[in-house]
Amino acid sequence: MNQQQKTNNKKQTTNNKQLITTSLVWSVPLIITAIFFWILGDIIWHGIGQISWEFLTTATKDAGRSGGIAPIIVSTVLILAVCLTVSIPLGVGTAILLAEFTREENWFGRLVRRSLDVLAGVPSIVFGLFGNALFVRILGFKYSILSGGLTLACMVLPILIRSAEEGLRAVPNDYRFGAACLGICRTSTLWHLLLPAAVPGLLVGLVLGVGRAIAETAALLFTSGYVDHLPTSLLDSGRSLSIHIFDLSMNISGGDPNAYGSALVLIMLLLIINGMAAWITHRWLENRILYR
Amino acid sequence: MHKKQSFAFSLVSLLCLGLLSCSQAGSNTELKKLTITGSTTVAPLANEIAKRFESENANVRVDVQTGGSSRGLYDAEQGLADIGMVSRALKQEEKPNVLTFVIAQDGIGIIVNKDNDIKALSDEQIVKIYTGEIENWKAVGGKAAPITVVNKAEGHSTLELFLKYFKLKNAQVKPDVVIKDNQQGIKTVAGNKDAIGYVSIGTAEYSIANGVAIKLLPVGGVEASTKTVGDGSFPLFRPLNLVTNTSPSPLTQQFIDFAQSKEVHDLVEAQNFVPIQ
Repeated sequence: MNQQQKTNNKKQTTNNKQLITTSLVWSVPLIITAIFFWILGDIIWHGIGQISWEFLTTATKDAGRSGGIAPIIVSTVLILAVCLTVSIPLGVGTAILLAEFTREENWFGRLVRRSLDVLAGVPSIVFGLFGNALFVRILGFKYSILSGGLTLACMVLPILIRSAEEGLRAVPNDYRFGAACLGICRTSTLWHLLLPAAVPGLLVGLVLGVGRAIAETAALLFTSGYVDHLPTSLLDSGRSLSIHIFDLSMNISGGDPNAYGSALVLIMLLLIINGMAAWITHRWLENRILYR
Repeated sequence: MHKKQSFAFSLVSLLCLGLLSCSQAGSNTELKKLTITGSTTVAPLANEIAKRFESENANVRVDVQTGGSSRGLYDAEQGLADIGMVSRALKQEEKPNVLTFVIAQDGIGIIVNKDNDIKALSDEQIVKIYTGEIENWKAVGGKAAPITVVNKAEGHSTLELFLKYFKLKNAQVKPDVVIKDNQQGIKTVAGNKDAIGYVSIGTAEYSIANGVAIKLLPVGGVEASTKTVGDGSFPLFRPLNLVTNTSPSPLTQQFIDFAQSKEVHDLVEAQNFVPIQ
């Protein structure tokens, strides 16, 4: 009897302990999700009323208090397009070199990897100053979408390269051995086997990179500028959505409603771009692996 | 195989086409370009004036950038920009190198919460409140409550103007809250019944008209309003300037004449500033 009570008591304490741990484990992600939904809800609540076809298709009026954000959306998309067209080939190329053509302990690979890690942690304002000095002044692109896109490319490259490299390294060596046994040359192995298999890693890098680029304000203020006209060429200055939101909320009295509207558009744009990236890579994967 | 190739091809060609069409459109049209840079306070106004100027003059494109008053002054002086924007009176040593054109004025008003009983404060009382000598509203005739002093962050021209008018140094000021811009100052004072701060009068009037719980106090016995700033009787104000180097181009001069004309007074008022008389 006594013995049984003891074991029961013991059971009780273990159960209690588990209850505490369980509730802790559950509450932390719940809080995080709650914060996320709070922010999202706040933006949707304040922003959804601003969004209309007119808001998305007309130019800004009265310093952004009224009118739409069409030129700003166009500038944002162009800046991002320049950034990705430059950074994806460079990023994947470097990742291939690091993962496939250098040993992990090779001094050169280690040097490149360390520099990339340092670069990934550099505050964006530093990239802004660098972009301003190099692209805006020395190369003479002036304040332009091109300067902004190239600066963002420098900023995104470290993230892109590192995750693409991780993606390539995650491909089992059996793939490489198998291909070698079949007498397939390294280029074909890379192109038809390793790259498709590494696509999930690449996608993660792309999503993170796009997120960082699209949220960027400081670096773009120095490089792509403040002009809210519809750009007619890549050498025109163009205001990005993030700069527009910053200006509306901090510099323009009565700009808050449209700042929320623009923030909502920014989030939607991010979701659309990420969705498109996932869809394109998915298509590509299907074509490469399943149907060949 | 075909499906995959055509898909990749269409993707690449779409991208190229997009980039190409963008760069071509720029080279086809002959545009005269004006570049304006400087104060973030003046930038929204200059941008609005620029838009109207463009709509009245075909083939002119005016690009407005920001970077602060000092940047505007430097870039205009060096010829890096056609026009600089400066949101303060120029210092004596800055004057010889540039031409200065006032396009609007901005008054700085003392604000307290709407529920505060205080009707007016003398300059001396304001100095004592900001230096921490008076810490309770009771000492200036209000109800017994500690005063929350709201000051602007270093580097803002409103702070410089406030300190200069009250003959203070920033080190003497004992702030409870430090703010960065007008909007933030208004929100702080509206949310705290015992706060005192100073912001642009135009912005304060706009907020009061929109039901924000603040009120403007007179300075030196003069009522704080855009009207008294406009007729020159309100003592605490700053000019919003455009500056150019000593030999502006005809187009630059044309823009400045336009920015100083009556045609843009509604734009000046819409940005909560006071047009020049």
